[in-house]
Amino acid sequence: MASEALNNTGFGESLSIQKRVVGALLRREMLTRYGRHNIGFLWLFVEPMLFTIGVTILWTATKSVHGSELPIVAFALTGYSSVLLWRNMPGRCIGALQANLALMYHRNIKVADIYAARLLLEFGGATISFAVLTVLFIAIEWMEPPDDILTVFAGWLLIAWFGCALAVGLGALSYLSDLVDKLWHPFSYLLFPLSGAAFLVAALPQFAQDIVLWIPIVHGVELVREGFFGSQARAVYDLGYLIPFNLALSLVSLIALRYVSRRVVPE
Amino acid sequence: MIRVRDLHKVYPTRFGEKLVLDGVSFDLAPGEKLGILGRNGAGKSTMVRLVSGAEKPTSGTIERGMSVSWPLAFGGAFQPQLTGIDNVRFITRIYDQDFDSNLAFVEEFAELGPYLREPVSTYSSGMRARLAFAISMIIEFDCFLIDEISAVGDARFHHRCNHELFEKRGDRAMIIISHDAAYLRDHCTRFAVLHDAQLHLFQDMDTAYACFREKIGLEAEVRPTMIQWPQDRAVLIETTHTVAVLDDAFKTAVQQADWHRDAGDWGLAEEAYSAALQLYPYQRSYWVQKGHCAKEAGADVRAEAAYRTAIALGENAADVREHLDFVLQRQGVTAGDHPAREYVSAAAQHAPPGLPDIMLLQRAVSGDWLPSDDEQLRLLRTCETCDDVLAHLLNDDALARGPKTRDEGAAREELNWVPLLLAISHPHYDSSQKEQLADAMRKAPDLLKEPFRFLASNGGFPSWNSVSEPAEHAA
Repeated sequence: MASEALNNTGFGESLSIQKRVVGALLRREMLTRYGRHNIGFLWLFVEPMLFTIGVTILWTATKSVHGSELPIVAFALTGYSSVLLWRNMPGRCIGALQANLALMYHRNIKVADIYAARLLLEFGGATISFAVLTVLFIAIEWMEPPDDILTVFAGWLLIAWFGCALAVGLGALSYLSDLVDKLWHPFSYLLFPLSGAAFLVAALPQFAQDIVLWIPIVHGVELVREGFFGSQARAVYDLGYLIPFNLALSLVSLIALRYVSRRVVPE
Repeated sequence: MIRVRDLHKVYPTRFGEKLVLDGVSFDLAPGEKLGILGRNGAGKSTMVRLVSGAEKPTSGTIERGMSVSWPLAFGGAFQPQLTGIDNVRFITRIYDQDFDSNLAFVEEFAELGPYLREPVSTYSSGMRARLAFAISMIIEFDCFLIDEISAVGDARFHHRCNHELFEKRGDRAMIIISHDAAYLRDHCTRFAVLHDAQLHLFQDMDTAYACFREKIGLEAEVRPTMIQWPQDRAVLIETTHTVAVLDDAFKTAVQQADWHRDAGDWGLAEEAYSAALQLYPYQRSYWVQKGHCAKEAGADVRAEAAYRTAIALGENAADVREHLDFVLQRQGVTAGDHPAREYVSAAAQHAPPGLPDIMLLQRAVSGDWLPSDDEQLRLLRTCETCDDVLAHLLNDDALARGPKTRDEGAAREELNWVPLLLAISHPHYDSSQKEQLADAMRKAPDLLKEPFRFLASNGGFPSWNSVSEPAEHAA
């Protein structure tokens, strides 16, 4: 233990410290958020599941106009799960540092670890919710199994990547200015209908397609739908846009993270 | 070895950048204990955070050749919803330790019993402190950073903390910040004063403390000011009691006096308490301390005067009376002959006098002449009110002609007596009116020398019996 307090630590050792720290933060976060009462940490994915089920039922009941003959259950599941994935990550990371300032007294806990723990938790929750509901809906024959599960994975991971990069960047900026928190809520609310959750790009008129395809998440959601529906629907996406966008966003976010890490003042 | 070199830390603020540390360098060898003195906000905690690595310096380097703790006993990085055990488990994981042995230690040391399994939000502040300290002790470090550990908890807890830190871990290096200078003196081997972003290192506490006193003494403008113009004597006494103990200059003066007292140097201690009381003459608690020192030194007259003053200014008479009776007995005086007069919340002319009142009134009446200790005591014994004191000072021929000691003017000017005197003479004036009077006095040195007539003829001492008569007399 003494050795890790010294200045020079090898990469392998640093990695194991980081794994341990993120693990500890993860458990702490789970206990803090969900506690030990009733179903405890199961809320991690029960909560997003309830959301998704609710939206699915609502959309089914209102026969939401999504501009195609696709099964509404699968459409709602893919759409709303994606929203939960990218939207909750920044929500969790904004203000996360302020809430954990006291932890910064421990040299081994870095700002990045705090975000990593929260992002892992969000990703885990949204993914479990998505997977469980998929299996459940298939089992009760509300929808067909996905056409190509690997494509679903790819789309899902790209959305998560986008969410993580955005979350770290906004989280870091929120330490510098309260405005981030204030603006994120209206911004995310407005982005929701534009994110591809509630429409298929191919069903939109050409001028609308040109506009929404500027929004990176739309490409990710389309990819997930391609995996689900295969040739049943025509998915419109461009990985040549989404991946470079994610890369650039990650770079900017990491710069912001570094800037904040050097200036953070423990409580 | 910890090597700190040329550390700078700048914080951005709304009013531009604030330089907190400017070129701080020092070495800390294994086993050395460095105590850091500094006024509030001097940057002591910042420095400790930088050394711990929790915060990054703006420039400069810190080489840690040994393992360094986090700053101990910072209220605790506890998540209030989590239980004590959860918090132990968290730290155990972060530092890769054995949970069972850690838990056993915390259970034994923190003495929280079943509360260890309850959320920290249900703890009292003392329980939190015990948990925080116990958790700090489960990780072994070569160097401990201790930031104000003596702030919470009872005596037994302090004793156990000291045992853990200085006996069990006496071989470790430490950097200790404390408001309690005596704590630093008892536990440190080296000392430093952090002032104006600079760190000054010393080998012994006396030099360090002298430096500290000098530095903060020079900064009169940062001392917490009393209300600029205390309205009347009652307000003066009330605010003094709370403000004085916040003033670093007063605190350090008292601290030095305490050390002399603890060492049994009664004469030096009494002088030091007098010096502190020069800053806040109406600080009643320290009149008691001064009295004790005079009593031990055998100076019964000064002891009696100090005790009477403390009682007159509102110190709990029941606590002081036995000491007063003791010095009376030693002088062969029956206690009943000269009863102590307790504080009454009344206008100055109806309130029983203390030494500060005698000093101020005397200052007003006859400039730089000061009654001797015996005369002061005679006034305290015989005068029921401040009004009586003034009457004596104005009329008593014996006093006017009697033996007087020349006052060391300098010591007396140190006391900013004008606002205090105006609080007594002009309780019915507001701040701006008092300011005008003070201005007029400052402009005319003669007035400042013997301001009584000026004050009396400018609305001062309303409804003081002693004043209305001689004023008529003069007319």
